[in-house]
Amino acid sequence: MKMESVEKPRVRVVGEEKVRIKKSFIKPWMGVKYLFRKPVTIKIPFEKIEPAPKYRGFHTLNWKTCVGCNFCGQICPARAIEMTWMEGEKRPHPKIDYGRCTFCQFCVDVCPTGALGFSENFYLTTGGLEEDLELYDWVPIHPDKVRELNEKFGDYRFPVERIEKKGDGVYVYHLRDGSRIEFKILGYGLRPPAAAKPKPAAKSSGGAPKE
Amino acid sequence: MADLEVPNELRREAKEHDMYLHPIDRDTYELFFGPQHMATENFSIILKMDGNRIEKAIVNPGFLHRGFEKLAEGRPYFTNIALLLRICVPESDVPENIYSMAVDEIVGWEVPERAIWIRTTVLEMARVSAWMFWIMGFGNEIGLYTPGQWAAAYRERFMRLYEELTGGRVYHIYTVPGGVRRDIPGDRWLRQLRDTVEYVKGKMKDFDEILFDNYITFERTEGVGVMDKRFALKHAVTGPNLRATGVPYDVRKDDPYYLYDQLDFEVPVLKEGDSLARVLIRRYELEQDLYILEQLLDMGPPSGPYMVQDARLKALPRFKPPKGDAYAHVESTKGDFGAYVVSDGSHKPYRVHVRGPSQSHGVTVLEELLKGARLADVPVILKTLDNCPPDIDR
Ligand code: SF4
Ligand code: SF4
Repeated sequence: MKMESVEKPRVRVVGEEKVRIKKSFIKPWMGVKYLFRKPVTIKIPFEKIEPAPKYRGFHTLNWKTCVGCNFCGQICPARAIEMTWMEGEKRPHPKIDYGRCTFCQFCVDVCPTGALGFSENFYLTTGGLEEDLELYDWVPIHPDKVRELNEKFGDYRFPVERIEKKGDGVYVYHLRDGSRIEFKILGYGLRPPAAAKPKPAAKSSGGAPKE
Repeated sequence: MADLEVPNELRREAKEHDMYLHPIDRDTYELFFGPQHMATENFSIILKMDGNRIEKAIVNPGFLHRGFEKLAEGRPYFTNIALLLRICVPESDVPENIYSMAVDEIVGWEVPERAIWIRTTVLEMARVSAWMFWIMGFGNEIGLYTPGQWAAAYRERFMRLYEELTGGRVYHIYTVPGGVRRDIPGDRWLRQLRDTVEYVKGKMKDFDEILFDNYITFERTEGVGVMDKRFALKHAVTGPNLRATGVPYDVRKDDPYYLYDQLDFEVPVLKEGDSLARVLIRRYELEQDLYILEQLLDMGPPSGPYMVQDARLKALPRFKPPKGDAYAHVESTKGDFGAYVVSDGSHKPYRVHVRGPSQSHGVTVLEELLKGARLADVPVILKTLDNCPPDIDR
């Protein structure tokens, strides 16, 4: 079928003389003129690149509007989202493993309530201290807070400076401006202990995002 | 040193298992080329050398080992975009588009005109930035590093445009079944694209001077790795490599998709089939792609939605297309890229098969062309065949 079109091409073929170029000894030296142009490279860390607006970076989560429906966990191609129960919250919230996340932002697209968002922060690296390199149990932060931090520092780094792990699953995020977020993780994808009393119809029980 | 003679049984056994024995009796040796070598990107070749000549080349892929097709069977339809685009890194939009086209056909969606325009533009931008990447690689292979540096800088401009349009630089995850994920960020973006096209067009002269007219390029590529028409057709060679042997086959002309039947462009064909022909074809196609981008910008994006309106898209993770199968293919800078998707009516595809050009270019053709070549010609042949190693390992 395709071979026919090879025989009788509808293609407008360009003449060989147009494609063919003459070889030359002298012409390559013309490149020397670029020595006197302004370089296009950026001197990091003295200059920095601003990510484009709506660059797909770290996630933000509005804990108030997230309904714990686990749509984000179902669409995630990298299976990076685990639903997490936290103290004081009626519903599970997504926990994102940035070791797996591909930053595709499909989770943001499917979120029915618009609770999950994203920021332009994209620095996955740290200064290289040993304690920085451990994988955090990372729960997205409120978008307003992230925006505020971006405006304050303007270098698009990870908004959390240090994570303190207290006993009993209590974590404290020390943000870069000195404020703290404290929460207690009760379990991943499981129903929390009786004290929290969620609705029995909560959807994500049974470890659905795992597999 | 004791007796180096290999016992005959061992020799026979090794032959049965296709193993290689050291030391070998004649004046030949084995050379592992890659996977760290810049030319091979992510796969390696085992070369059996006789002095400076290659007696036999055995391609040794599998360093990426990702099994895309199998993985795609275990994920919902939309999610697969984030996986399949990794099949071809320099132009990740091509796998996105073929998969989306195939799923569109299964569902029977009429993709909105605006989305079609955006998809065509994105594909052409992908082609231009892939040519830039190729110039970088090819220049480095033959020792001309300067054009490679320039090309990387110009590619950066396209990456910036992608960043603003899609939110990603290399992996755009942008084209999805039914349309595209975001609208064009405004007229400013279109102006920037036009400026970039103008800019790169102005730089073509410099590329000619330093790379394509260069005496070194001619010396290194002329008469190296020759394949004829019959050989190319027999080994399913497509794309610029096929056109360099004298067959005018271009998917954009022979099986037009998107807006290509409304666009005016030429298909370069040369008869020699050697590396030089492949280089010159690529250079001319880069020019044509810039010309196509200009035409698209003159056309302007049609107004309207950029995504189909379908109630089923509300519950994206459980989106179920009807039963059916579809094949779609596009012309990439590597060749004819196609995807075959089979749906059994559930929310995951039953089968996704990707037809990439690199299986033939990077394995069968490469092994044939390397026979009898000199060691120094290996990068040249490799780079002018221009394959994507992840595509071999898919
Ligand atoms: S999709 Fe949105 S609302 Fe549902 S669990 Fe995820 S973040 Fe919460
Ligand atoms: S951005 Fe993509 S990979 Fe990352 S958590 Fe969201 S859906 Fe998963």
